[in-house]
Amino acid sequence: MEARNAVEFADRIARRRVIGTTAATVAFLAVQLVARPVFRSDGYAASGPRSYMWALNAGVLLLLLLPIGGYVWGRRVRELVNDEVSRRNSRTATAGAFWLAMITALAIYVLPTVRDISAREAAYLVVTPATAFALLTFAWLESRALRDG
Amino acid sequence: MDDRLENRLREERARRGYTQAQLAELVNVSRKTINTVENGIFIPSTVLALRLAKALDTTVEELFLLR
Repeated sequence: MEARNAVEFADRIARRRVIGTTAATVAFLAVQLVARPVFRSDGYAASGPRSYMWALNAGVLLLLLLPIGGYVWGRRVRELVNDEVSRRNSRTATAGAFWLAMITALAIYVLPTVRDISAREAAYLVVTPATAFALLTFAWLESRALRDG
Repeated sequence: MDDRLENRLREERARRGYTQAQLAELVNVSRKTINTVENGIFIPSTVLALRLAKALDTTVEELFLLR
């Protein structure tokens, strides 16, 4: 692939990644609102396929923050897509999500609750917003970086 | 210290008739990197600043300045 094409191709991939990351995160949050896979009205954390799907979904989404994948595009394009700016955006998004996770965890520990929260529910409450925050922040930073002008 | 880094990358690039993609190709970075440096969103590393200056046939001091 010629150098110029590599730059333009990497630009297109980066734009698609912004759209894909945003769409996947919105879908992830929408599923949580509809299905609430971990909570049950009787106070016991649900188990089974739905809760495992949540964990799988969150884990796969978090992989989007890592500079991996795209091996079919070749090394040069991969390096351009995950360049210095993208890596910095990923670090910024991850740092923000870390603080959100810490604040959520502390709130769960400190604030009084109507009933006891199971470990699985606590993990869900910490991981879900932190994952969504990290991905949406990353998508926003990347979108800003790609904006023409 | 409250210095603000400004740059003349956009002006220098335009003066030589390069698009962001063409300069990105010369410097071997993504167009996104050129765009974020021009807009002051991203402060480039020393290596990148030197490569930009070389590609535009100027000096780092001409491209980047503290206000």
